[in-house]
Amino acid sequence: MNVLVFSHYFELAKELISAGSRVGDVSLLLSSDQRDREGEVKGARRVIICDVSSEDQSGLLNAIASLAKDYDLLIFSSDKRGRELIGQVAQKLERAVATEVSSLSLSNGKLIIERMTYGGKAISVEELSLPAAISIQKGKFKPLDADSTHETLHCKFEAARSYEVVERRPKPKLGIPLDKADVVVAAGRGFKRKEDLKLAQELAELFNGVVGSTRPLAADLKWVPEESWIGISGVRIAPKLLFVVGASGQQQFSAGIIDSKVIVAINNDPGAPIFENSDYGIVKDLYEFLPALIKRLRELR
Amino acid sequence: MDIAVLVKQSLDVQQLAIDSRTGKIYLDEAPTKAGDIELNAAEEAVRIKEKVGGKAVAIMLSCFGSSGRRLKEAREALTRLLAMGIDEALLLLSNQYMDTYSAAKLLSEEIRGKYQLVLAGEGSEDNFSGVLPARVAAELGWPYLSYATSIEVNGDEIKVTRSLEDYDEVVSLKLPAVISVTQEINQPRIPTVLHIMKASKKPIVQKEVQATVEPKVKVKEIKALRVERKRIIIEGELEEAIEKLIDALRSEGLLEVRG
Repeated sequence: MNVLVFSHYFELAKELISAGSRVGDVSLLLSSDQRDREGEVKGARRVIICDVSSEDQSGLLNAIASLAKDYDLLIFSSDKRGRELIGQVAQKLERAVATEVSSLSLSNGKLIIERMTYGGKAISVEELSLPAAISIQKGKFKPLDADSTHETLHCKFEAARSYEVVERRPKPKLGIPLDKADVVVAAGRGFKRKEDLKLAQELAELFNGVVGSTRPLAADLKWVPEESWIGISGVRIAPKLLFVVGASGQQQFSAGIIDSKVIVAINNDPGAPIFENSDYGIVKDLYEFLPALIKRLRELR
Repeated sequence: MDIAVLVKQSLDVQQLAIDSRTGKIYLDEAPTKAGDIELNAAEEAVRIKEKVGGKAVAIMLSCFGSSGRRLKEAREALTRLLAMGIDEALLLLSNQYMDTYSAAKLLSEEIRGKYQLVLAGEGSEDNFSGVLPARVAAELGWPYLSYATSIEVNGDEIKVTRSLEDYDEVVSLKLPAVISVTQEINQPRIPTVLHIMKASKKPIVQKEVQATVEPKVKVKEIKALRVERKRIIIEGELEEAIEKLIDALRSEGLLEVRG
């Protein structure tokens, strides 16, 4: 089976190659701005370099749609622009789609995939008729490491902007990406003021960890960079230890913490759903508990 | 300018119960609703039409059949949107599961030639794949912009700010277009009792639909995602609770403490 993979993020393309190689021979599409990464490609049989920039969504759409006829499966990453592409390409080509796929295999000429659904409460097992297009959940497939050789093709497509970009405002970045951190302190609306987040920061520092947050703190109040946002439309994390402080545990958030090893929840509401979803629960006011916990941990160092 | 808002009758995942012992997942028992982010899409449609004129129509696809409790829930969800200021509602009823390919085909038939702008949420409440508005855009041959956090309409030109991973992007384009929005775009208004009473007089047109092709995606099984958690509540006064937590972290191997 022939598989074509593309991501706006070269690091994610490595995971896509790994996923695709489970079911077929992988060709990697590189946009013009990714061409200098070709030497880093491992596990693909073919690299196609097209002269369309990754900034040009409509151009990419045309390029992928016209290359796709030679491929049974298209694989994208689950970032925002990847999601934009997969739906449009699939409809143009009348293909089946599954997003955020965590496992895939072939059975009787069909693609069998698993994906999370119902806000992280269930796994959906789906059968896709081929040809199909899927996107892969981040972090589920380890990049391939063995040296490999590939052929290189070049292709030309017209740039095709269907809209004009007026302005781009870069977003602030975290030091350690949340999904790579061993310890995360997730802060919720129980924190009353931005300054109070220093409590979460101090606790995180004691474990060399990182502060994450629920949606409102990152997206509405903008107290923390958007990269800190944990949940189904933010980052999915997998730390060894997660403190959830002052967050009730809405489903959209809980879907993002499933892979955490040990969860400690601190919330003054004994009825908060987060206690159903944690290993250790402390029903106390964070403003009372955190300073005392930090003080005690410092004494123990 | 006339605006269509796409709404899915979704399971309310917050209220979806799972038996943690047997792993049974109570799909039939869970209520349904319009997704929270779809309320933001509806709110934005109402704000735009209040500013530039025209009407805002909600189009809901329901795959739960055309009778009984699910129909009642669908109509209630639409009534809420009507109370928010949506002018009319179209309820498309299918007796069976429909994949997003067929859903996009059906919705596009209702949109083509009637609307200049289509708004949707960034993902549905229950499935959250975010694929449908992209599919509708491709089916219509219209440009698609996702994750919009603001929309400004100026004649047949719109300016959209969208939130991507690395940057916020401001783009301008000519209508028609399909746009998906995030929760941050606005605060959906809470309808008053008066608005709800008035809404009950607005039309909800029901139409039975069915997919014309075999589904390309078949759901074989829904398995409860059982995450084993200890669910230990640490009791006691402040100092006692802290010592108990520290002991617990030690026994988990998460705290290396000298002495």
